[in-house]
Amino acid sequence: MTLFGIAARNIGRNKLRTSLTVAVVAISTLFFIMLRTVVWSWTSASEFAAKDRIATRHKVSFVMQLPKRYAEEIAQMPGVTAVCYANWFGGKDPKDENDFFATIATDPASLLKVYPEIKTSEAEKQAWIGDRRGAMIGDSLAKKKHWKVGDKITLAGSIFPGNWDFNISGIYTTTTTNVDRATVWFHWDYLNESLPERSKDKVGWIVSNISDPGASGRISKAVDAKFDERDLQTITMSEAALNQSFLGMFSAILKAIDLVSVVMIAIMGLIVGNTIAMGVRERTNEYGVLRAIGFLPKHIAQFVLGEALVIGIVGGVVGLGLGYPFVNLGVGRFLEENMGQMFPQFRVQPQIAVMAFGLALGLAIVSAILPARKAASLQVVESLRRVG
Amino acid sequence: MSENNGKSDIISLSKVGKSFWRGKERLDVLKDLDLTMKEGSFEALMGPSGSGKSTLLNLIAGLDVPTSGSLKVAGSELSQMSEGDRAGFRAANIGFVFQTYNLMPVLTAIENVELPLLLTSLPAADRRKRAETALKLVGLGDRMGHYPRQLSGGQEQRVTIARAIVTDPKIIVADEPTGDLDRDSANDILNLLGRLNTELGKTIVMVTHDPAAAERATVCHRLDKGALAL
Repeated sequence: MTLFGIAARNIGRNKLRTSLTVAVVAISTLFFIMLRTVVWSWTSASEFAAKDRIATRHKVSFVMQLPKRYAEEIAQMPGVTAVCYANWFGGKDPKDENDFFATIATDPASLLKVYPEIKTSEAEKQAWIGDRRGAMIGDSLAKKKHWKVGDKITLAGSIFPGNWDFNISGIYTTTTTNVDRATVWFHWDYLNESLPERSKDKVGWIVSNISDPGASGRISKAVDAKFDERDLQTITMSEAALNQSFLGMFSAILKAIDLVSVVMIAIMGLIVGNTIAMGVRERTNEYGVLRAIGFLPKHIAQFVLGEALVIGIVGGVVGLGLGYPFVNLGVGRFLEENMGQMFPQFRVQPQIAVMAFGLALGLAIVSAILPARKAASLQVVESLRRVG
Repeated sequence: MSENNGKSDIISLSKVGKSFWRGKERLDVLKDLDLTMKEGSFEALMGPSGSGKSTLLNLIAGLDVPTSGSLKVAGSELSQMSEGDRAGFRAANIGFVFQTYNLMPVLTAIENVELPLLLTSLPAADRRKRAETALKLVGLGDRMGHYPRQLSGGQEQRVTIARAIVTDPKIIVADEPTGDLDRDSANDILNLLGRLNTELGKTIVMVTHDPAAAERATVCHRLDKGALAL
């Protein structure tokens, strides 16, 4: 029997209250893990970017387009080994318009060359290249929509109005996590030939393979310099920098997530502190008896802090126990499959788990400091007088 | 300690006063009290509510300090002692028996008895052995693993007494030890306290309202308005 052991047993005295408090700590730990994993996954997306790819877009904005001939000119530049171009299509499934997935017009052969991590069978590849209305579907989207090779699908265009019919030529998977597995890729020509003359032959962005990843900065500058005197200037950056610039658009969301984390932790602290304070009030007479038989104020403080520590440990362990499968097998798997470009790897990181567990313990202890001080400063005679 | 009839004084109060403040009003609960108790005696403190008997018991037990005067218990002058030193004094010299038992509900009988020994450097096995001995001494050798809620009031009070004697203190202070018990259980407890006094030589100071309980004591002090009544 030890002081800590007694403190641990004390929390079992009001099982409902203890269970609810442990649940609060566990849920807070779980959500902390979730939120930190969102931030980690988002901010680390650039780390998963290919080092041998650079992206070129309009200097002013993503939404402004470039002439298709820029892609052809970039392909001729030293150090560039392959080029593909693409347009954001913004298609939706008319049966479920709230279900978001990426729809991008591209040149099939050059896409598969620039993105070797996109894998499909040779037969499906050739079928796609050979069919102007052919579409290559990410495996997670195909699974979700129950689409299969040979199906005919219709998408409603939001940027390019009308109903657009496609034949599913193939289903791709990826060998890395930096490519989204829920995208519909289709022929740029199919889009281009349907556009009015003034909108033809324009692309949203150009992605180039380079022979030397270490030269990405130099080649990017050279690309931009090439078009500097033209009507439409470009900005070129590594894929990692592109991801980071994209992330910058969401900085407010990241800040909001940080704020939510802090608020949640503060609420958890108040709830644990209140539970401990109630326990102290109920056990005033027992603390008086302990003091009477020789225990010191520091022992009483240890009792109180010990109880808080046990709540923190149990809540933290439960939170981690729930967090790992919830994030790694549930939310994480979904995000990786459906939003792979933003969340290329959505897994609980050891440092986040340690931080969450440490926070559960630390917060439980901090929450108990005031009740512990109060319990330790109780006058023995006064405490015993409350016996009955 | 002064000698008298072969026994020395274990408790000695000289001009002890104790006052409390209620707002701006000063309450003199004990007034210039002179009192001695012999080692190995069984003494009762009686008196009406508010007479100061519980305050006196708290002073003797080292739970509180007098406002004035000298208070010597088991060779230690308590009036000038720090809170920490008094805690050590209590752990070494005083056993407590309360009216409402005050056992920890999450601990078994033997764990409750073992509790004061956590403050000693005794190994766990020795602590457990001592607690067993104390419980057997109070007749609860067959209830060691029971929780307080599984015991009767009389049995709970026996556990309290076992907890009080497990550290082998010189003095046992009992505050209305039979106040919550029926007559038969009260007699058992008083018999037990009597045995501790006669067989183990413990000095017992007992506050009680019960004349039958007071009759068991060898000396009975009556207090009235903070002073010993003649």
